[in-house]
Amino acid sequence: MELKSNSFVVGDSSKCVGCKACEIACFKAHNKLVTVGNITTPIISRIHVIKGNNFTVPVQCRHCEDAPCAKACSINAIKNEDNSIIIDEKLCIGCKACVVVCPFGAIEIGTKCKDGKKVMQKVQKEFAEEGLEQKEEKVAYKCDLCKEQDEPACIKACPKNALRLFDVIEEKRMRNIKAVNNLKL
Amino acid sequence: MSLGLVNIDKDLCTGCRQCEEVCPVNAIKGEVGNPQSIDYDICVSCGQCIQVCNAYAVENKENKDMITNKRLERGLLKSVKEPIFAAFNKGNAVKVKEALNNKELFTIVQCAPAVRVSLGEEFGLEVGSLTPGKMSAALRILGFNRIYDTNFGADLTILEEGSELIKRVTEGGKLPMFTSCCPAWVKFVEQEYPELLSHLSSCKSPQQMAGTIFKTYGAKIDEVNPVKIYNVAIMPCTCKQFECDREEMQDSGFKDVDIVITTREFAQLIRDKEIDFENLEDEEFDLPLGSYTGAGNIFGVTGGVMEAALRSGYEMITKQSIPTLELNFIRGGEGIRVAEVELPDMILKVAVISGLKNVVEVLENIKRGDCDFDFVEVMTCPEGCVSGGGQPKFILAEDRKSAFMSRKKGIYKHDSELKIRKSHENPFIKKLYKEFLIEPLGEKSHHLLHTKFVSRKKEEM
Repeated sequence: MELKSNSFVVGDSSKCVGCKACEIACFKAHNKLVTVGNITTPIISRIHVIKGNNFTVPVQCRHCEDAPCAKACSINAIKNEDNSIIIDEKLCIGCKACVVVCPFGAIEIGTKCKDGKKVMQKVQKEFAEEGLEQKEEKVAYKCDLCKEQDEPACIKACPKNALRLFDVIEEKRMRNIKAVNNLKL
Repeated sequence: MSLGLVNIDKDLCTGCRQCEEVCPVNAIKGEVGNPQSIDYDICVSCGQCIQVCNAYAVENKENKDMITNKRLERGLLKSVKEPIFAAFNKGNAVKVKEALNNKELFTIVQCAPAVRVSLGEEFGLEVGSLTPGKMSAALRILGFNRIYDTNFGADLTILEEGSELIKRVTEGGKLPMFTSCCPAWVKFVEQEYPELLSHLSSCKSPQQMAGTIFKTYGAKIDEVNPVKIYNVAIMPCTCKQFECDREEMQDSGFKDVDIVITTREFAQLIRDKEIDFENLEDEEFDLPLGSYTGAGNIFGVTGGVMEAALRSGYEMITKQSIPTLELNFIRGGEGIRVAEVELPDMILKVAVISGLKNVVEVLENIKRGDCDFDFVEVMTCPEGCVSGGGQPKFILAEDRKSAFMSRKKGIYKHDSELKIRKSHENPFIKKLYKEFLIEPLGEKSHHLLHTKFVSRKKEEM
């Protein structure tokens, strides 16, 4: 049987300076915009730069093998496809079950946007100061490893090379070789 | 809170110090991980920090009021939806909108060359798209009374600066002579090398020459009381406001240029008015002061002022046409380019410097008496005004380099397609001299188009 394992983007806190270039690049990867002036919707990033007391590092989906989000999704909108965990944003109803079970906080509920505009719900409305207002459609967003590009945009954009795609099998092989080389037999 | 021209918002800054890597004068101070601040005694307001800042504000229900206040404070129009970042320039779009609604004012606008190759980007057009016609059409819909152009000012600058160079070379004036159209460069010399101020050309920048002419000659031909003229300049630059606010810049008898907005703010005004930029029909600039040559237009790229000056200067000295118009040996990118131009009786040694950091070595050489250049062009931003701090900001830093290339291509394309490509052949420049200025470096020119510089060096404690 072929050995297979989901890859994921991992950040190195000793290199990260917290600049958010990865967040911006993530947004850009999912929107075909070039300049800031064209942005008309909130920036939704699927990678989240976290600032601790004396470190910063981005956190994102680990593409768990036994993904709790996929198991929790009652409408099967989260699937394991081609070695990664993918949310089908078209199917998602924003129930947040995945957010509840994700141990990394990698999933965020955000406004659905299309062609530079927020998508509004067809039926449901919400109370506002000036009467009933249209309600935004919201869905779950998380890292999809930029499947449509050759390399995750965050990795490419990081000015400090603090991000890399962690391939479990390859990483193990490399470390094995390194260990053997260090044995000095 | 009082704002500078260029600012870093402490509430948003992540302390990553990526801005410091592009700051040409190391004016950004602070520890890694903590909000940064700008040392305004050093800062030249070039705005490169604005272009690379990634620290955007996440907007949510909790901080909605705070963010709204920040947008107001920054002078953004209410209709602006784009995210705000830690590094920003104080905007003037709201004031320009007010002026356009004030029927008492006669509004005149001028756009820098680099604006017409970047404005389209803010409306989804291909990077570097050349859109002078759409730009002019948009300005008309916005309601400006006259659509004149900075390129006219650039042509005028060439006549004055070219004549000044010839005078210095032939009569033994201070050499090398430096260009003085980049306000951040001028501010840098005033702050750091005041002893070399006499090396700067005494010419005002194209923006300021244009502004002065609009309120004098322009007022006359348009039969308007110059008191009512409100001069708006649209620039790829965050330092041009500093230049127009200099107290000596009122030789017309009024503030020569009233206000400056950036390319980005111009795009915001167009969106605010709900103009469908992409589908605008091309329109012309107004004559006579919106007429320009290819030489005036290439001021927007590094090497452009030099190329334009040589196209005219060669002819002024030799009374013959320059053999080739396109001087590829001085075109290029960031860094220093040196060339020798052969004239019948002499060799003119010139240098083009792009990126303010690269000028320090030349200045130090001059101080040591070890510099044989005759004429040096200096631009603060990496590749000239096309890469200015007020230009559309790229979401990805990696898009910048190729964008500068595309914008430069657009500028040179425009030059190659214009019928007249030498400043001194602009018929309306000729007319201006005939009817008003009389001659380059003449008394009127001296009074209206030339200026003085001041030392801003802080005394060592």
